[in-house]
Amino acid sequence: MKLALLSESLVDETALRVLVAAVVGRPLKFASPGFRARGWPHVMQLLPAVLRHLHFNTDADALVVVADSDDTAVHTARHEAPGYFHPQCRLCQLRAVHRQTVKNLAPARGREQVLRAVGVAVPAIEAWYLCGREAAVTEAAWIEGRETGRAPYTRAQLKLRVYGTDRPSLPHAIACALREVERQRHDPRRLEHDFPGFAFLAADLRAVPNIH
Amino acid sequence: MIASIAFRNFKALRSTRVALAPFNLVIGPNGSGKTSLIEAVMRLKTLSKLPVAEGEPRQKSGGPEIEFTFNAPHDGLTARLGCISDSVCDTLRISPAHAPGWPALRADLGGLRSYALQHEAMAGGARRDDGAELSPSGHNLAAVLAHLRDAAPAEYAALTAELLRIVPEFVGLEVRERAGEVDFGLRLAEGGTVPADELSQGSLYLVAVLALAFDPEPPCVLCIEEIDRGFHPRSLREVRDALYRLSHPQAHGLSRRPVQIITTSHSPYFIDLFRDHPDEVIISEKHGRAAQFARLSDRADLADLLGGSTLGDLWFSGILGGVPEER
Repeated sequence: MKLALLSESLVDETALRVLVAAVVGRPLKFASPGFRARGWPHVMQLLPAVLRHLHFNTDADALVVVADSDDTAVHTARHEAPGYFHPQCRLCQLRAVHRQTVKNLAPARGREQVLRAVGVAVPAIEAWYLCGREAAVTEAAWIEGRETGRAPYTRAQLKLRVYGTDRPSLPHAIACALREVERQRHDPRRLEHDFPGFAFLAADLRAVPNIH
Repeated sequence: MIASIAFRNFKALRSTRVALAPFNLVIGPNGSGKTSLIEAVMRLKTLSKLPVAEGEPRQKSGGPEIEFTFNAPHDGLTARLGCISDSVCDTLRISPAHAPGWPALRADLGGLRSYALQHEAMAGGARRDDGAELSPSGHNLAAVLAHLRDAAPAEYAALTAELLRIVPEFVGLEVRERAGEVDFGLRLAEGGTVPADELSQGSLYLVAVLALAFDPEPPCVLCIEEIDRGFHPRSLREVRDALYRLSHPQAHGLSRRPVQIITTSHSPYFIDLFRDHPDEVIISEKHGRAAQFARLSDRADLADLLGGSTLGDLWFSGILGGVPEER
């Protein structure tokens, strides 16, 4: 079982490896180095090429993709209805790009397609890092804030709470992220409960054959 | 340190003013005044060492003028450079005249530094006694490392640790002395040492940037041209972090005075790193032969634009300005 990871930074990639292993319940082999995008629009631009590359040139079984929602629509249970697609929802968009890309690829390396495990952190991955430490930081709190026009926190505030500064060095940011995800290492259920955007990722991972 | 610089008829900078932050990334096309901005700062350094001019300016009306204002504790002070031509500035006037804060400010200005690092220069050896301060081209890098090793072992150890973290194929930094000369190399994990003149350009630039970042006595203002030069795009975050160590020491657990950074880049990948800090980006815009500066954060629609593109791509596209003119 081999996974590949497309993320926006080395910090995210390092933390996601821990979170993915927490969901699966065992250490996993990741394609290295990880694929890196320069922000959301770049994730969408790169995704088809990454999928094609993985499908034809590697033995990866699935691609893990995680993006921040920023201020876009949050993926809800309604979006899970068959055939539903929300054009402003990044989870819907990522799934659609995966679907459209892999359906045109001929089978290769003994598999029909590279599977996907897609998550969207609301509003940013630092919110996931704070799960279990700050009870007020949840996806529900963010949605409620959007509905009432009073955001409970900003992305900059989340970063400050995780890193203690708005200009963390790379090693410091990685150390902080790893310290925070350590809480989820043995039981990610709280993270899945508070952040459905992570639960969708976890569900995708559990659906990958032979992952456990 | 420097709060603002106003230009009049100085090269392409006909009439423009730029407010400076602790960290300033200047982006724009060739010939749009990025280097002129740094040049102006260095002329202030040069003229601050000379006696302050008094009386009425003797420059012809309409000649080049550069005016500096400063942050606290020198916020009431103005320094004006008078120039005969674009290439000769020969007078410095301060206002108010005889300001009591001038001697202290002058001492700070004397330490301003500017770099246009050259890998060919950095790859060579240096005189052992030439290591107190990295030269503008970095030609004495080996001597600076030797000086740091002996005079500030803690900073040298921190520099080495940081270097080896960023380039893990190496396990040691070696500085070797012979008969008053010094050179350096990087020890490979599998054995053997790569001497400086065989190191990659990017490795040399990285060592130089780290030598600046871990300088125990940094200047109050540091200017670096083309900071992205030689680096892989994925390594640029480390370069930015090294500069932030200087400009925002408190964010790195350091208690020393911040160093004001003025740097330039043509790399969209480096510019991407300032998405969360657009206030640190200055766009130099050229129209015909005249250039002007603008703060990226002054752009009212920036947040909306960033929802659909990266900062570097926005700049490259021309949406943000700061691109070459085309016929």
